[in-house]
Amino acid sequence: MAPRACALCENAKAMLKRPKTGQQICRECFFYVFETEVHNTITQSKLFQPGDRVAIGASGGKDSTVLAHVMKTLNERYNYGLELFLLSIDEGITGYRDDSLETVKRNQQQYDMPLKILSYDELYGWTMDAIVSQVGRKNNCTFCGVFRRQALDRGAAMLNVDHIVTGHNADDIAETVLMNIMRGDIARLGRCTAICTQGEDTIKRSKPFKYAYEKEIVMYAYFKKLDYFSTECIYSPDAYRGHARAFLKDLEAARPSAIIDIIHSGEAFEVREEVKATQRVQQTCKRCGYISSNELCKACTLLEGLERGMANAGISDRGRKQLELQGPAPENLRTIPLFKLPSGNPTVAIETTP
Amino acid sequence: MLRRPKYDKSKKCVRCKEKSGNIVIRHAVYCKECFFPLIAVKFRRALDPSINPVPDGPRRKGLKAGGNLLLGLSGGLGSTVLLDLVDRTYFSIRAPPMDETTGKPRGGKDHPRNANVWPKGYACYVETCNAFPGTRDRTEEIRAMVAKYDRFEFLPLRVEDAFSRAWWDKIGGQPVVQSLGIDVTSEDLLLSSISSDEDVDTPTSRLQRYISSLPTLTAIPTAVQTLTRLLLLHTALSLGSSHLLLGTSLTSLSISLISSISQGGGFVVREEAQEEWISRLPVTRRIENGHADGAIRIIRPLRDIGMKECAMWAWWHGLQVVGREKVPGGKQGIGSLTKEFIVGLERDYPSTVSTIARTCAKLAPKKGVGGVCLLCERPAQFGLQDWKARISIRSFKDSSASGSYRPAHFPDKDIAPAAPETSRSPSLTPVLCYSCHTTLTSRSSRGTTAVSASKDNPMPLPMWVTSNLTSAASHAAGDEVGGFTDPSDELWERRKMDTEQMKATVADFLLEK
Repeated sequence: MAPRACALCENAKAMLKRPKTGQQICRECFFYVFETEVHNTITQSKLFQPGDRVAIGASGGKDSTVLAHVMKTLNERYNYGLELFLLSIDEGITGYRDDSLETVKRNQQQYDMPLKILSYDELYGWTMDAIVSQVGRKNNCTFCGVFRRQALDRGAAMLNVDHIVTGHNADDIAETVLMNIMRGDIARLGRCTAICTQGEDTIKRSKPFKYAYEKEIVMYAYFKKLDYFSTECIYSPDAYRGHARAFLKDLEAARPSAIIDIIHSGEAFEVREEVKATQRVQQTCKRCGYISSNELCKACTLLEGLERGMANAGISDRGRKQLELQGPAPENLRTIPLFKLPSGNPTVAIETTP
Repeated sequence: MLRRPKYDKSKKCVRCKEKSGNIVIRHAVYCKECFFPLIAVKFRRALDPSINPVPDGPRRKGLKAGGNLLLGLSGGLGSTVLLDLVDRTYFSIRAPPMDETTGKPRGGKDHPRNANVWPKGYACYVETCNAFPGTRDRTEEIRAMVAKYDRFEFLPLRVEDAFSRAWWDKIGGQPVVQSLGIDVTSEDLLLSSISSDEDVDTPTSRLQRYISSLPTLTAIPTAVQTLTRLLLLHTALSLGSSHLLLGTSLTSLSISLISSISQGGGFVVREEAQEEWISRLPVTRRIENGHADGAIRIIRPLRDIGMKECAMWAWWHGLQVVGREKVPGGKQGIGSLTKEFIVGLERDYPSTVSTIARTCAKLAPKKGVGGVCLLCERPAQFGLQDWKARISIRSFKDSSASGSYRPAHFPDKDIAPAAPETSRSPSLTPVLCYSCHTTLTSRSSRGTTAVSASKDNPMPLPMWVTSNLTSAASHAAGDEVGGFTDPSDELWERRKMDTEQMKATVADFLLEK
């Protein structure tokens, strides 16, 4: 059979079938459409201003590795005028992050971007290994998720950046839409398809890969010969999310556009005004100054529970009541440093290339 | 390891607290005697507030609908239970109280209390066997089922009626000047005329061409469902009905919500649970049909009752469920996958189905309704083609989607720009909602499954679409319901263009092969 010509340039030999459209296209056209779609996403949402300092949330996995490459490429090609940084969080899981952080350090050299690695241990005084040894494997994802979100914001504040970009892809967003519907999380459902989230007291955070398929990200890394580590977290047995992910893969097999169709659905609806009125107003944590729905933010509650040997305090109402019965927090309790939005000057020295 | 008990406290009924329970509903135990009123109350609570023309909350007295009632039957569990519940609640027990002295109904036979909630009840079944080869015709079985309820008149329809001029004329539809088809090989879904002779091109053959032109297997059940829904609605209108009731249980509702969202139907998430459909027929025509306001409420009164409770109701009342035909190859469809997923999830997480329905009830479409989709006749958004083109570039010809930079191996001079905006193309795409456009155009990763799709073999369109496109009367009159108003306030020009005209318009931009 004669080789098929690329459906886009109709010139070169088709090298791949695009997971998103099913079109058979050549490698150069794939790079072009992948990058241009991300560029379209960025420009249409007016994500950046010239001169913005942008931190790329880098885990060393496929999404953030490709994101760093694409951000650098687009910044140069279209003269965005951005100052790019790499920001990594070290959760302190032995054998999980070690290799990935090596990838991030290599990216730092390849792309000539400053890198900051912030560890849970440095920020909270606890590694995930230590947390799991106290709470067990059941609820440890709650700690990791809450701590990571704050850690990214705090790392960004230290680097004095205006904006954090993360490698969340279309599959992640579609999966989150389904998950939020199934578990009734109306507040998150209302904002999970937004490309950019920013509160008054938080750093702007966005997802340039919002419409990029996971398979295409892998394909891009493969053809560009970008190396990354695909490591499943050894502490994450989230069965419910696993069901949702498997379901999404089935839908994608039935019709590849299903992922984009779900995101489109998520963008087409919003939480009803009457329901919004019942949602909690955001405030500032009285202990660490981070945004919070309660007097104490979730990270402070979780940390207090850990420090006082009652890890359930931040997980269940019962745990919280038990903690309250024990009396107020002791004076010498370890706390998270006060959160301050970027002040104009970096407060930490960034890692330099060895 | 000990199995976790399926109920929270004891085996005693949580309602009467005396009898031993017979059924566990989401961790709560009920006895058989308490189960029946529980279901009846849930059913009435879902339906009563929507019966009167002006919805005014739950009320026990003075229920009076604005027209007749049409029940949509599929032969499945939900619609079987629905027919039984509607008959028991609103038709059987409403014999007027008799005056002992006169022996006549108290208050006279015209007293509002003695009148039925709906003057007349119809049960309609749409046979889909011609859409799915290998399935059997179950019309007679459904007829036998409805015959047990003598207050309901049975109306059999066939899904191919959607392409039948005889059916369209019978229900008083706007006359169709010309039959139209679309080219599904192009995202623009360009329109062209097709033979109007029903002797040559029968409704069944048109239906089969419609089905075989669809690009994926998953599009087939979705397309048939849309045809069925519109057949029921147009029939309801012709019967002077104010309500169309469907037997969607809580479980089925959750499945259809997730399935619809997975097919891009987020904008109509509210309509999946309850909707008010307004006929696109001109007012004069509606008055002729005896349905001046042209509005029909589609209610799903079993939306708070799970599949398990429906099954128990049917079992304890000895209802015979005809059952629905398994669609051949349907396992790969988004609807079937969602059903399998939700039913499986319900086993381990029994609250999932109600959480899905409750969460979706808290959602509303974002502002910016563009109009009504001509195919499914539900609210639709505008500007979706640009959105689709930007986030998945399928062609370099549209520079708005692909930007100014070009790959090194593809020089700028090779780019043929898209036709200028001023050229008007007879395309169906601008008047379709996202879901319907996806159903008609989105392909599988293995390419299209369409058997007969080609430019020379257009996919026939259902009567209501053709009628709206060709009805000069509604267009000229600027009827706001019938027209599809573009946000730029431009009139959508409905003139047929032949291939030569189209070529002439874009000739300067076509690449030489």
